[in-house]
Amino acid sequence: MRSLRAVLLRLAGSFGAARHDREIAAELESHLQLHIDDHVRAGMTPDEARRTAILALGGVVQTTERYRDRRGLPFFDALRQDLVYAVRVLRRNPGFTATAVITFALGIGANSAIFSIVNAILLRPLPLADPSQLVMIFATEARRSLQFDGVSYPAFIDWQEQNRSFESMAAFANQSLPLGTGDEVVAARGKVVTANLFDVVGVQPAIGRAFREWRLQSADVVVLSDGFWKRHFGGSPAAIGQTVRIDERPHTIVGVMPSRFTLDGDSEDFFQPLGVDANRNRGFLRTVGRLRRGVTLEQARDDLSTITRRLERLYPDSHAGVGANLVPMADAVARRVRMGLLTIMSVVGVVLLIACANVASLMLARGATRQQELALRAALGAGRFRLVRQLLTESAVIAAAGGILGLLVAHWTASALAAAVADQFRVPGIESVRTDGMVLLFTLCVSAAAGLGFGIAPAFACLSTDPSERLREASRSATGRRAPRARRGLVIAETALALALLVGGGTLLRTFLKLRATPPGFNSASLIKADLSLPLPSFLQLDTRVGFYRAALQRARALPGVRAAAFVSILPLNNRNNTESFHIVGKPDPSPTRGFNAVFNIASAGYFKMMGIPIRTGREVEERDAAGAPDVAVINEAAARAFWPGESPLGRQIVLPINDEASQTLTVVGVVGDVRQASLGILPRPEIVVSPMQSRLRGNSITIVAQTAGAPQALTGSLRAAVHSANPLVPISRIATVDDVVSNSIVEPRLYATLLGAFALLALVLASVGLYGLIAYSVSQRRHEFGVRVALGAAQSTIMRLVVGEGLYLAAAGVGIGLVVAVAATRLLVGLVVGVEPKDPVTFAAVTFVLVAAAMLASYIPARRAARIDPIVALRDE
Amino acid sequence: MSDKADVWQGTLALMVLKTLETLGPLHGYGIARRIEQTSAHHLALNYGTLYPALLKLEQEGYIASEWGVSENNRKAKFYRLTRAGRKQLEKEAREWERTTAILARFLTPGEEAP
Repeated sequence: MRSLRAVLLRLAGSFGAARHDREIAAELESHLQLHIDDHVRAGMTPDEARRTAILALGGVVQTTERYRDRRGLPFFDALRQDLVYAVRVLRRNPGFTATAVITFALGIGANSAIFSIVNAILLRPLPLADPSQLVMIFATEARRSLQFDGVSYPAFIDWQEQNRSFESMAAFANQSLPLGTGDEVVAARGKVVTANLFDVVGVQPAIGRAFREWRLQSADVVVLSDGFWKRHFGGSPAAIGQTVRIDERPHTIVGVMPSRFTLDGDSEDFFQPLGVDANRNRGFLRTVGRLRRGVTLEQARDDLSTITRRLERLYPDSHAGVGANLVPMADAVARRVRMGLLTIMSVVGVVLLIACANVASLMLARGATRQQELALRAALGAGRFRLVRQLLTESAVIAAAGGILGLLVAHWTASALAAAVADQFRVPGIESVRTDGMVLLFTLCVSAAAGLGFGIAPAFACLSTDPSERLREASRSATGRRAPRARRGLVIAETALALALLVGGGTLLRTFLKLRATPPGFNSASLIKADLSLPLPSFLQLDTRVGFYRAALQRARALPGVRAAAFVSILPLNNRNNTESFHIVGKPDPSPTRGFNAVFNIASAGYFKMMGIPIRTGREVEERDAAGAPDVAVINEAAARAFWPGESPLGRQIVLPINDEASQTLTVVGVVGDVRQASLGILPRPEIVVSPMQSRLRGNSITIVAQTAGAPQALTGSLRAAVHSANPLVPISRIATVDDVVSNSIVEPRLYATLLGAFALLALVLASVGLYGLIAYSVSQRRHEFGVRVALGAAQSTIMRLVVGEGLYLAAAGVGIGLVVAVAATRLLVGLVVGVEPKDPVTFAAVTFVLVAAAMLASYIPARRAARIDPIVALRDE
Repeated sequence: MSDKADVWQGTLALMVLKTLETLGPLHGYGIARRIEQTSAHHLALNYGTLYPALLKLEQEGYIASEWGVSENNRKAKFYRLTRAGRKQLEKEAREWERTTAILARFLTPGEEAP
């Protein structure tokens, strides 16, 4: 502890040097006086006495120096000196300092901003107990190349009972159901969960209890989420024991989950116990398991694949080709955005590299002009290490200033960026993007590494030759020297990286534009839609449903400003996947265990006309296709091509199994144009459309679409009221214009194109500034040479060509390397956005053009300056 | 070459502490003289080395200093032993005695350990 006290005192001693120096001077003077007094008493002359006293002391200056070393920490003292000196030097060159700091701040800012988003979404632990041990297990199906499929209840039980790798395993499924509290019915998002689920993830209800029995028959109890409880029960503990109606059946509230609890990132409203479901073909469950201690993910994978192979042998009908896909919980939750985030993170990493190259190049240039100063300091006895340290301190000061500035930039942009995309990307964590300790640490580390990176090479480069030579050389004017090889290399590398980023951004932009220009197959203008959630028990009967459809359509059509209205179950571009298996009368099934597959949709009379979807042959669904009339189907062109190639599908019949006993036979009456069902980037799939008045498929979500005379948004309120007056028990989960549906479907490609494009532009600007700096430097070094050339009769254009030529030469080298890098890099974008075409020649050509143009501009400005050199002035400078 | 021994840092501190214990508050010059006298001029004390040593002891909290007036009316900085310094002196003196005792046994010829 004594030594700690001493270190702290010494640290403090490093400040207030003047006062301390006065103190020691006074003490030594008093020492000498006492000594002199003694000597004089002993008979010496005062002069002699003084000389002897000083000798005995070992010199005043030397003692003071030793005393100082002991008073402060010598290393710290030197650091303080370096810092003071660095700040002074940097302040004397505001142009250089500002350029370096801003360049670096942009690089750091971009990195810290993206990192705070990555940190919030990918790195911060999930609100579950020991989440690193949690693994999501999806079913895979080789034939349909599914990687994230659900598993059936019996298969889940098999996994659960036969595995040796998991402490415990639970399953859940999403369900959106009408949930009634008091007089109000809302469309609620919920999950059915196995009773042990809360134990497996290690989170218990904040108040009340979880589900008791394991594997109980679907009991009428419910656990609410914190959010739902606060919205509908005002956060009152009295909610426990009250009932809510889920799908019209009363359920008792037994518990409320803690706030911030979410299972896989959905904002759930409620949790219900999962009932037993014996159907092996109904893969609807997601599985989450807690790994045993010491069991690796690999071992668990092997374990489960043994089980799935066994199940394949036992139940070839339902389990052929079905495997298991194990994904750490955190990755599974952020699956959709993980790759995008990592891509953007590497892009900003490249931007930072370019920024560093720029600053390094600036430092090299400045180092060259400081040769004389450095040589002088070396000649005066500064050690090489001391000089390197001085130069590194200067880069550290730049890095620190840039880092702080960058952190501010990140602090403001990251949360704004996250807030802007939070609606489209419902990823857990995105709401909590902030500048926390991790972000600070990241910024600190990156700034320090970058500062060292761009500082160390220039620092050593400045000292590579011996001081006497540098002194001599610096006193001569540098003639005809080009920029040093290191700087040229840096600029080429910058250009290459900027080109690669531009190609990436350009490719995504092209993809986005192509997607936006893709005809969706329908006309989205003047349409508004409302997603409804039918309470199933009373809507199981076709009569009830038909009654509601008719009433709702009648009221919607009667609204002022509504031209037409229709029901549909799968609106285009809604990313849902309702395929059913069916048989075709007169055609053998493709395999003994499965029939044909198509998307099954429901659309009421006039839907296709209203949507502007063309009718190719036959007719669309009409009012006469009511209950009791012959069951009809309308198919899309993709279905016609797939199931009746080369023949007319009109009048053909298909058989759709409804459940184990019943099936429905439908007659094809028309073929309509294809629409993009899932997204603009995915080709239309075969689709079979049935009238809602005849459909016996059970589904509880349906959409009402209305065509309006004026702006569709204006109808939001009246459409809601119309549905409510048709049946107050049917809640509306979402109302939106169909135009919004279309633009939301490309929000991801647009976001990636925007982000990548913006960062690529930043890279272009940085690289151009780097090139400009280099050429300008080279011009300043060659003033004398240009002066001689002009004096000997060179035209201005010759000089300009000479300078611009140098810039273009460097740019060309960068473009050449960059194109090779870009070919490899764009391939990485393929998985990011659907429809990316790597090696798109238009993008490559356009980007090369942009870059060369930027290089021309960057070298034109110094070239003009070179051309205007007055030979008399240039030569007189000698 | 002088036959005087150089003073090395560790022992200098001990000598300073002991001097202050014996004589009470004293200025740097006085300490230096006292050390020379006590060693009967066998030690070549470079007075300059004394001041960093005093500073070190003060930083460690074993001594404290204040300005005062010397016996012949000169302004001087006086050092005095602190309570921690007294303890440290006891401890170091004990250790030093033990060390010298051990060394003495090595260096005394003929006496084997029982």
